Amino acid sequence: MSDTIPPRDRHWYRRGELVLAGVVLALGAFVIAGTADVTAAASTLGLGPRFFPIIVGSAMLLIGVFYAIDVLRGGRGDPEQSEDVDSETPADLRSVLLVSVIFLAFAFTLDFLGWIIAGALLFFGLSVTLGARQPLRAGLIAVVLSVATYLAFVKGLGVTLPGGLLAGVI
Amino acid sequence: MESLSLLLDGFATALTPVNLLYALVGVTLGTLVGVLPGIGPAMTVALLLPITFNVPPASAFIMFAGIYYGGMYGGSTTSILLNTPGESSSMITALEGNKMAKRGRAAQALATAAIGSFVAGTIATGLLVVAAPLVVDFAISFGPEDYFALAILAFTAVSSVLSTSAVRGLASLGFGLVIGLIGIDQQTGQARLTLGVPQLLDGIDVVIVAVGLFAVGEVLYVASRLRHSSPDVVPVGRAFLGRSDWARSWRPWLRGTALGFPFGALPGGGAEIPTFLSYSVEKRLARGEASEEFGKGAIEGVAGPEAANNASAAGTLVPLLTLGLPTSATAAILLAAFQQYGLQPGPQLFDHNPALVWGMIASLFVGNAMLLVLNLPLAPLWARVLHIPRPYLYAGIVLFAALGVYALNASAVDLVVLFVLGLLGYAMRRFGLPVAPAVIGLILGPMAEIQLRRALAIGAGDVSVLVRSPVAATLLVLSALVLLLPVLRRFRNRPAPAAD
Repeated sequence: MSDTIPPRDRHWYRRGELVLAGVVLALGAFVIAGTADVTAAASTLGLGPRFFPIIVGSAMLLIGVFYAIDVLRGGRGDPEQSEDVDSETPADLRSVLLVSVIFLAFAFTLDFLGWIIAGALLFFGLSVTLGARQPLRAGLIAVVLSVATYLAFVKGLGVTLPGGLLAGVI
Repeated sequence: MESLSLLLDGFATALTPVNLLYALVGVTLGTLVGVLPGIGPAMTVALLLPITFNVPPASAFIMFAGIYYGGMYGGSTTSILLNTPGESSSMITALEGNKMAKRGRAAQALATAAIGSFVAGTIATGLLVVAAPLVVDFAISFGPEDYFALAILAFTAVSSVLSTSAVRGLASLGFGLVIGLIGIDQQTGQARLTLGVPQLLDGIDVVIVAVGLFAVGEVLYVASRLRHSSPDVVPVGRAFLGRSDWARSWRPWLRGTALGFPFGALPGGGAEIPTFLSYSVEKRLARGEASEEFGKGAIEGVAGPEAANNASAAGTLVPLLTLGLPTSATAAILLAAFQQYGLQPGPQLFDHNPALVWGMIASLFVGNAMLLVLNLPLAPLWARVLHIPRPYLYAGIVLFAALGVYALNASAVDLVVLFVLGLLGYAMRRFGLPVAPAVIGLILGPMAEIQLRRALAIGAGDVSVLVRSPVAATLLVLSALVLLLPVLRRFRNRPAPAAD
């Protein structure tokens, strides 16, 4: 277990876990505070809409405390194993950031650019970020995929996808 | 024998040309996503939910069942042929299967996995036919307090069994419960935790949560640690078994089935425990040549766990169909699919929709036969799928994830929510929080709340109503035991404090 993470990563890792425990605590507080203004008519039979959130929120606070204690006492979760994941290497946060930026850019421009252009850019950007070595090939696959999905899902299955800039063309 | 005639009616539903086609699409798609790393049956069914809204429910569930079973078959191909360790449920198969493949016995490993899956799947589906009506008869008298207790048992079991650390499993469960709270309270119409965002009044769609946690979370995680070498796949021809391999395989298949089915039906049982148990049983029973081969590629070590894996899938369907209780992430998504069609799995489902339920069960037999045909001669084709360059694979996964989520409401807001959930999925993977409890909490949480409030309304506020029925009391005691188990275990292993 302990040998899956290089030593210099460890300090950072523990801090990350504490942040996650903090998120659990914050969510618990949020659930309790966030439902404070939720009231039901006094005539409601049985329990109102706050009852269950209070249970969940309190449980989250309790879990968050135990989680933090566990981390501080040296407990650690095992990072998930997966076929394409090399758990020996330190985390490459630059790629994570790039993937995030590309995806958010896609989300914000989709309605304007349309599925075909935005989708092709999304695929192209992600595949290059993830290590595709031939940009030309990646671009070609990106265009073919986004056009094919547009035709198949919009014309074939009746799914609504934005036409955007190409709305009149296809 | 009533269920036998119902099953025959089910075959009449499943064997119509249209439904055969849906079954074929399902098993093919299921095998494909099972073979491909990075996606699984849970996410595939979630992505298909918005698209299948216009498909008749019986056909949709025949396809979903095909995806579920197909995913089990496909996963074994990956773990045998790919030289990298994979997910926990197929890791056991990889132990011997991958070593067999390296010794030039890939065809036999794939064949014993496929035929074993067929045998186990068929027997276990037969057991499902027998067990389901019995559970329905028992559960027909369940009150709200019993259903609440069942949900609690599912919560605690899935949290503490699926994770090496119960507190991390519970944290994951909590994330799901909180997401499930968002939106309008079904009983009083009050908005909860919506932060004033009108799009959140209907709650966050299950599809977005599942796709965010599974697909986007996985891609972000892979991006942080991608293996930059190209996938190392063992070449393989048509899968087949020699005479001696048959002789060595059939007993492990049956033992694996016997272990897999009951564990699949238990809350928190899943596929991991029975595959592991089956492996250790086969290892202990091995004599002579087999005993020497263990650790170097013994066929028994593939045959048993693979059978257990598939039998557990059928076992999972027992509580799902008869009680509406999901015991795995995929089952939870299937439950959400039922809800999309306005159906509530449980004893009533068998009464009100016999054609749907029995059609789906019959299609499991059909799908299993299809999978055998698909997997024996076509093994080289599936092996080729494994060569897809990873940058394209993961870029494609994101593209389809975005497509499926956008198709829900044609809303870019959903894509941002998807990304936030993807970040949560990334953090959970990185810090060892299992994802399944979150999905089960999300889907079962609102139901647990309704049953709890119903029970307490009947009891007029008296909390003891929750333990008045013996069934509910037993289930709650079991839940407490499941939670305390890891604590007790740690107490016994005291002499080994954390070394780092």
